[in-house]
Amino acid sequence: MAVGFLSPTTAGGLTLIKTQTIGTTVSSVTVTGAFSTTYDAYKIILSGGVGSASHNLALQLGATVTGYYAGYITSSYAAGTITGDKDNNAASFTLVGYGTANVLNLNLDLQNPFTAKNTTFQTFNSLTATGAGSRLGTGYLANTTSYTDFTLTPSTGTLTGGTIRVYGYKN
Amino acid sequence: MAKPLIQIDDEVREMTDEKFNAYKALQTANAEAQAEADAKITARLSALAKLAALGLTEAEIAAL
Repeated sequence: MAVGFLSPTTAGGLTLIKTQTIGTTVSSVTVTGAFSTTYDAYKIILSGGVGSASHNLALQLGATVTGYYAGYITSSYAAGTITGDKDNNAASFTLVGYGTANVLNLNLDLQNPFTAKNTTFQTFNSLTATGAGSRLGTGYLANTTSYTDFTLTPSTGTLTGGTIRVYGYKN
Repeated sequence: MAKPLIQIDDEVREMTDEKFNAYKALQTANAEAQAEADAKITARLSALAKLAALGLTEAEIAAL
């Protein structure tokens, strides 16, 4: 009987597509040319930088300002108390990241932003304040529009510095 | 009055009037959402304090 061997995978699963440094005291950051036919799924990471105030980070795809649906669960550091938040036909995914005057953080997976299907996302982020907690969120954008760009916007104040990195998952 | 700055890739510029109006509306909505979330937390903490004052233990409150 012949014995077969699986060939090892030589290519990595994640490819860095784009790196964007955030400017000084900007109220939003748009990253263009992030999504394409090459990948179906993406990871977006934001690290470093500061906010002018504590804020949540919202994600908008292209110019779409309706049809964002998501649920978020936050577990408080102090008591493990669970609270829920929602985007119900919102103008963006409103709680995908968090920032303070110390640091910004966002760790988000996105599926099908370019493909003509519903775009879905999953995020988990650390609310860097002692009175806050850790937050998980998932949701989808209720259309089949193809997007190449996204925008991050703080709920209040401005952003300075920090680096946005967009990775593609190998199809 | 200078409008807030926006960044598109490496270009940083002031918002257009249209963008600025949308931005102000979003900020207002965010403030309302935050106030609603804060009120929810405050109400929950108040309820928990009242239950504790009635003599319920933390385990009993958690079991509710």
